[in-house]
Amino acid sequence: MTSELEQELKHLIIDTLELEDVTPEDIDPDEPLFVEGLGLDSIDALELGLALQKRYGIKLESDSDETRHHFRNLRTLAALVEERRTA
Amino acid sequence: MTTPAMMYVHDWRAWQPGRRDTSQPRLSVAEKPAGGHVPAMLRRRLTGIGRALCDMLAELDADADCPLLYASRHGDGERTLEMLNTLAEEAPLSPARFGLSVHNAIPGVYSIGRGNRRTQQAIAASGDEFAALLVEAQGYLAQGEPTVILAFADQAIPARFAAHFTPPVETAAVALRVSSTPAHDAWALTPRPLTSDDTAEDSPQPSDLIDWLCGARDELHCHRPRQAWSLVRAE
Repeated sequence: MTSELEQELKHLIIDTLELEDVTPEDIDPDEPLFVEGLGLDSIDALELGLALQKRYGIKLESDSDETRHHFRNLRTLAALVEERRTA
Repeated sequence: MTTPAMMYVHDWRAWQPGRRDTSQPRLSVAEKPAGGHVPAMLRRRLTGIGRALCDMLAELDADADCPLLYASRHGDGERTLEMLNTLAEEAPLSPARFGLSVHNAIPGVYSIGRGNRRTQQAIAASGDEFAALLVEAQGYLAQGEPTVILAFADQAIPARFAAHFTPPVETAAVALRVSSTPAHDAWALTPRPLTSDDTAEDSPQPSDLIDWLCGARDELHCHRPRQAWSLVRAE
């Protein structure tokens, strides 16, 4: 079951990271986003961090264990947005 | 006495969207080149010209084992201008766009995508790119490289600056496989001294080279910039 916010984040990831061959259905909420799973890289992490700041007003440390945790998969990302969004 | 040929063009590929002479099998006029030889996760970061170059390089260097000399006068002017505008607004830059704003971005993505670990060079030479490419190629061949790939690409100047460039810059990319070894169907590139009959012509841009390769012009002259060095001892 995918929440509305998770669906929104899927679109944000696809649009921001220009994932031209990926559809929202391809992103499994429990699969890793980075390296394995979806296969995003370190530049994507920076790009996604910027998108979260622009869209939801969330600021993250670029290289902290906490950020690694939030970026693990779509569910952890949605939990972060739920908790910290200001916009 | 004729000067021996400096190098031979063994094969070539070109891309120029919208060009008419589509019967030439080595020329692509596709509006959206496939970039199919580069994995999708890398390809997404390339624009049309980068994808076209990756397609051409994969065909000219199937084993991805040749040095690559790449030249572009202006690089990606539209994206550079977009980033400058973003900076002027004091807004954050896109990390992905910034990461690919270097002059060697396309050769870099190509080398990762194809696993080519040979030497690469990215050149900008104020309009004398083709001459610079030939000089660099001469160096690699003289050092014993059997084959070198030359890539020459440019894109239309952003509208804001276009008035400063006559003739206008055409969006086009061309790649040549050159070698110091002749072959019956290879074309020779031969240097000669400048004569008083040589008039100052505009240096060739990628679309001029494609005109010549496709037979739309008989000759292509490429003057090296007249440069002189003076070494002066400090007093």
